[in-house]
Amino acid sequence: MLPYLAIALLVIATFYSALVSFRERPKDAPPTWLFPARTRRPARIAVGLASLLIFGVIVTWVIRGPQGSRDRTVRFLVPENYTGWVRVDFEIAGSAPLPVEDGQTVTRIPPSGKLATSSTEQFGIEKDRYFFYSGDTLKPIPKSGPGRLIWGRLNGEEQSASGKRTYEEFFVGTEQQYLSQAKARSGTNSP
Amino acid sequence: MLPFVLYFIAALVIGFHLYELLSLVAYSIPINPLELVAFFGSFGLLIAAYISLFRPRTAAKVALIAALAIWSFYAPGIVNLMRAK
Repeated sequence: MLPYLAIALLVIATFYSALVSFRERPKDAPPTWLFPARTRRPARIAVGLASLLIFGVIVTWVIRGPQGSRDRTVRFLVPENYTGWVRVDFEIAGSAPLPVEDGQTVTRIPPSGKLATSSTEQFGIEKDRYFFYSGDTLKPIPKSGPGRLIWGRLNGEEQSASGKRTYEEFFVGTEQQYLSQAKARSGTNSP
Repeated sequence: MLPFVLYFIAALVIGFHLYELLSLVAYSIPINPLELVAFFGSFGLLIAAYISLFRPRTAAKVALIAALAIWSFYAPGIVNLMRAK
């Protein structure tokens, strides 16, 4: 959504500025929306004060970062070229906890696509990020838009011998791969 | 006020989008130099917004240069997206 909005605004700003830059304003013509007059002093003061407020809010937001918010920011690292379902089981006794880097939980998925951790599942406004990893190199995985490779994100709860535990799943691959996998899965689950 | 509102909102939205892309450097993702050019372009758009309060025509010229700098990043992306489709 944001990239499309940015491009739309860029197109409008480009056309408007080009029009005003290259078109001559008729002499002694009254101000129009295309060639507005210089803004009045009270309006300039109001803009200055409003700007200070907006920049103050932005700076505070950048400085506070994710710690001050109720966002869930998990970084999923998936092996490069991995295709298929990924599953993370939480609260598994004896498993390693998930590391936290720069306020973000790092979930490094092994080549099997299945990870067990002793950490508890995080909840909040989802701002997860997905990456393919190969050694130390990371490549972002699009989770929306035309090149989307993340599908079927879900979380659930399971009853086992050791009690209740939560899990998360998502599919990595193209839409076609996801649909055929989902079909096969529902076929397997049906009686 | 129209030029101010237009340049200001465009600068904030574009700047935020580029900030998000640039912040991926924290995850060892290399920066595209054109991202930086476009990011400075969004600053130019912001400056143009304030100039427009005093000299709208000069602001339009500054905004146009800034917009072209921003296009240097977005245009190749749009072309690649079209080709992929």
